[in-house]
Amino acid sequence: MAGNPACKSFVPLLSPYIDGELSPAERVNVERHLSACRDCTSRAADLRAESALLRVGLEMAVDEVDFKDFTQRVMARVTPERPPLLERLRISLSELFLYHRTAMVSSLATAAVLVLVLVPLLMRQSDVPMGYGGERMRVRAVRASEGATVAPVVLESEDGSTIIWAVEQEEARPADATSPKKQAPGHDDAQDELDADESRPVPGKDSRPKGGEL
Amino acid sequence: MATDDLTLVKRVRGGDQRAFKLLVERYQRKVYAVALGMLKDKEEAMDVSQEAFVKVYKYLDHFKGDSSFYTWLYRITVNICIDVMRRKGSAGGDPVEFDESIDNDLSEARIGALGSRLGTNPQKSALRRELAEKIQEALAAVPEKHRAILLLREIEGMSYEDLSRTLDIPKGTVMSRLFHARAKVQKILSEYLELDEAKSGVGNE
Repeated sequence: MAGNPACKSFVPLLSPYIDGELSPAERVNVERHLSACRDCTSRAADLRAESALLRVGLEMAVDEVDFKDFTQRVMARVTPERPPLLERLRISLSELFLYHRTAMVSSLATAAVLVLVLVPLLMRQSDVPMGYGGERMRVRAVRASEGATVAPVVLESEDGSTIIWAVEQEEARPADATSPKKQAPGHDDAQDELDADESRPVPGKDSRPKGGEL
Repeated sequence: MATDDLTLVKRVRGGDQRAFKLLVERYQRKVYAVALGMLKDKEEAMDVSQEAFVKVYKYLDHFKGDSSFYTWLYRITVNICIDVMRRKGSAGGDPVEFDESIDNDLSEARIGALGSRLGTNPQKSALRRELAEKIQEALAAVPEKHRAILLLREIEGMSYEDLSRTLDIPKGTVMSRLFHARAKVQKILSEYLELDEAKSGVGNE
């Protein structure tokens, strides 16, 4: 600031000038001086360079830091006690959904397939008329011949013997249960055996009435 | 997607921890940058940054909505930094308040050295990188209060009004402290530049 004594009053204004913090009147004043003073123009340039340098320098330093677990550590310190179970469940569920979306979709798909396969199977199993021992025995097959007025119910008891009940479609009265007709549904067996397991009882032969046990 | 600070603060008060998480994520880098600029030590800066957020959470009820959240957050950050420095007994830099003595700093090393060397070569010159690394050293030579103001201005781009509110000092003081802080940093960087030029034999532009 060798030559120009006017600089003395302007130098302190350069810092607010580059910050855009001067009043309009002051700014005009400074700019008028700058247009006539090379030194102060250089000073202003220095200030701008320094300001940028400071920002860049600190940004570089911050970039070296890994903030990955910063939030977690802060949160751990501000969370006084364990959050209620429901809350934790909700959070982990929502995080599961956020971060493991693909895994979840595929497992949901698997679950859906399982449901599609299992539900009809279970439904079939419960297809036994009430009071026929369906609770206690495994149902091998339930199939009615076309146009038949009776529906055969094939049950397998625990000791491996097979019972075939023929139930009238229209009215399945428990009274009939004591005297089941020996109606082996011959042509259906082939298909029934697809569902049957290794022990494959032959339905027709073994169908002694066992009403008493039921 | 960006919810403003005050809405998040309200949600935190209502017990929403995730809202606080968002605030931490929003300001962690800048708070750390301020702390690092103040303390120079990376680990200390990290501790202070976390401490600042914990304190903010703890005293959230004391935060009046009449100022902005970040003003309050930085005030807490700066105060913790100053506490840490006091405790260590290394308040740093020149303890003399030289607000009133503007003339002191007008003995400039070389006018235009920084601007001419960096101005033409803006983004990523090797020199800029080198000087940027020097910055923290230069900052350490600035008195703590001046340092705080310079950091908040440069990192957060706070207006003089915000600075005055954050640090609870008049606007005129903001202006003079900034001026002095800059002059000091400038001097150190210029000296370093001259040294560099003398070493490499350049510098007679």
